[in-house]
Amino acid sequence: MIYDICIVGSGAGGSPIAYELSKAGFNVVVLEKGKNYTEADISKDELAVSRRDKFIPMLKDEKHIINEIDEDGNLTRFDGDEYNWNFWNGSMVGGSSNLMSGYFHRMKPNDFKLKSVYGDIKGANIVDWVISYEELEPYYEKVEHIVGVSGKIEKHKFLEPRSTKEFPYTKLFENGVTTWFDKTCKKLSLESFATPRAILSENALDRKGCEYSNFCGSYACATGAKGSARAALLQKCSAKIIPEAFVYKLDSDEKKVTFAHYYDKDLKSHSIEAKIFVLSAQAIESVRLLLNSKNKHFPNGLANTNKQVGKNLIFSAGGSGSGRFDFKDLSKERQDELMQVGLFFNRSLQDDYEFEEDGKKYKGGTTDFLFEHQNIISRVSREFYDEGGNILWGDTLRDKIHNRLTTSRKLTFEVFNDWLPTDKCFIGVDEKEKDKFNTPVGVINLYGHPHDLEVGEKLAQKAVKVLKEMGAKDITYSISSAPPPNLVAGGCRFGDDVKTSVLDKNCKTHDLDNLYVADASFMPTGGSVPYTWTIYANSFRIADEILKVIKSYTNPH
Amino acid sequence: MINRRNFLKAGFLSSSVLVLSGCELFSVTTPIQTIKILQYDLFPHAKKLGVNMSKYLQIILSHSRIDEDEKKHIKNGIKWLNEEAIKLFGKAYIKLDSLQRQKVLILISQTRWGDRFINRMLTYIMEAVFSDPVYNVSSGSGWEWLNFKTGLPQPKEALL
Repeated sequence: MIYDICIVGSGAGGSPIAYELSKAGFNVVVLEKGKNYTEADISKDELAVSRRDKFIPMLKDEKHIINEIDEDGNLTRFDGDEYNWNFWNGSMVGGSSNLMSGYFHRMKPNDFKLKSVYGDIKGANIVDWVISYEELEPYYEKVEHIVGVSGKIEKHKFLEPRSTKEFPYTKLFENGVTTWFDKTCKKLSLESFATPRAILSENALDRKGCEYSNFCGSYACATGAKGSARAALLQKCSAKIIPEAFVYKLDSDEKKVTFAHYYDKDLKSHSIEAKIFVLSAQAIESVRLLLNSKNKHFPNGLANTNKQVGKNLIFSAGGSGSGRFDFKDLSKERQDELMQVGLFFNRSLQDDYEFEEDGKKYKGGTTDFLFEHQNIISRVSREFYDEGGNILWGDTLRDKIHNRLTTSRKLTFEVFNDWLPTDKCFIGVDEKEKDKFNTPVGVINLYGHPHDLEVGEKLAQKAVKVLKEMGAKDITYSISSAPPPNLVAGGCRFGDDVKTSVLDKNCKTHDLDNLYVADASFMPTGGSVPYTWTIYANSFRIADEILKVIKSYTNPH
Repeated sequence: MINRRNFLKAGFLSSSVLVLSGCELFSVTTPIQTIKILQYDLFPHAKKLGVNMSKYLQIILSHSRIDEDEKKHIKNGIKWLNEEAIKLFGKAYIKLDSLQRQKVLILISQTRWGDRFINRMLTYIMEAVFSDPVYNVSSGSGWEWLNFKTGLPQPKEALL
């Protein structure tokens, strides 16, 4: 059988295309390396999900090689298996969107023209996007309705222009501490706002609303309220999904991809023939597949004539911090509010999304606030040491754990700012190391531009100020170049110039007529927000383009 | 009588640990003998909560996601703990009285390996204490102790 569309990877990048094309009557097949779970399979089992990483491959079978590059160009090599360091996110139908917290922010208009608005930064490959915010806006709006975004529009300095007045779903119920937070921000002349979430606040879209069952981020959702690619899109369309299918090679002629070859769970090889292929296996894996698909027409790897595949890998820069609220400083009423679980702490600050210093405009970012994750084993384990760094045990440890966990709670924050693209941060494949599929493993070359740290530091200090003013104690934060593995983009940037980009404006590869890349790989810069909403929106945009193309030569079935 | 499957499961915990005194072989012990005592030296409250970490270790250490290196670290820790006990008091760890055992723990906690070994053991203890009742190791008494409300739905079957 020849499919109309073959999609490799079933996360936020591939699923909107599967949804739109199958709804339009085309034969769509989705190849996904992980298993296919339904809501009935999902539970909040900390041991399985968080302690033993149920949803990522075992590193002895599938690992990464990681090269850290410092400012002087010195390289340190880490074998991911040996150092327990990996960039896997969620090997399952729906990908890592199953496990996201669903903090949904749109990119701002100026994020699409970083170079024009803020200028060059030495050592960074900053470019403007080849589409504008205005072109993507209808698709952001589409995601709000199809995937489901809840929230409340609150005017603030950097609120992006919208084609609709309000979110389609009202905001989720919030923990009482948000009122302390809002008052504090007002006092500090900051504009706090409710963080939009890809979580349904009511039954809708043939899915259940949020049941506030605790344990949201890092866990799949058992009600279907979270807008994962699986619950929101793949379960709502007729695209054929083949789980436990690892695509190890794409074949091509000079102009077109012809076959995708995959191994099933028993390592038996199969092939899929299709008219159009879409890669959406997450930035690192999509690049790896292209580089591992060399042939006589493309000796550097597919779509890599100009050796751009893998370049300009980016993450979300920034870091995180926290402060502790202690019962002894609070009224009984506030103590009760503090300990409410299940309810969300949805608050964000974007006052410094752009800032000025010495008369020059700089790009800043977003700070999201949330309570420390409820994972009990992790929280208890963080109490193993005293303030002097000495390990505790026995009754001393028992008392510390009991006191900390029953009479205090940590409010945390996450800073998101641009990870500037550079020549030193890129994806490759290893010439010797192979995974259990006998396929060369991905090599991640890491470098964080110093400017990223300066911006992150500025945002973190503002967050610390808020926590201090709220009365939090034990405030700490860390801004670093450590890359968050769940916030990865770039590697196949889109652009008009074939010499400096892999994809055209519509995310079709410059080199091949029927190969698209629809995950976050296309992003030349990442904005200062989590990526998922933008990935979804862009994928709906690509779906429209593919529909135009395919309708020009094939009728729906 | 131990059946074949349980024997295989318990294999690592029942394997021999050679304890040296200087260059001489002092005694032979097993990880489980030491762990049964050590767990309550490190977190006596687990006994009150009715949680037995050695039972949990039998489950977790036979799981495919625990690699051989992890088992090696545990075995080395047991060996070195016993060797420190011999150095200090001339007896294996389990032969010491409670006060002596605490002195050994204080001593090793000031070394890098000792700190890591205690941390590793405490981590397994906490995994046992706060595991979902579906694992049949804790009844949820740890959660009650900390007024903790777990996420829902709870697992219907043990996934490890």
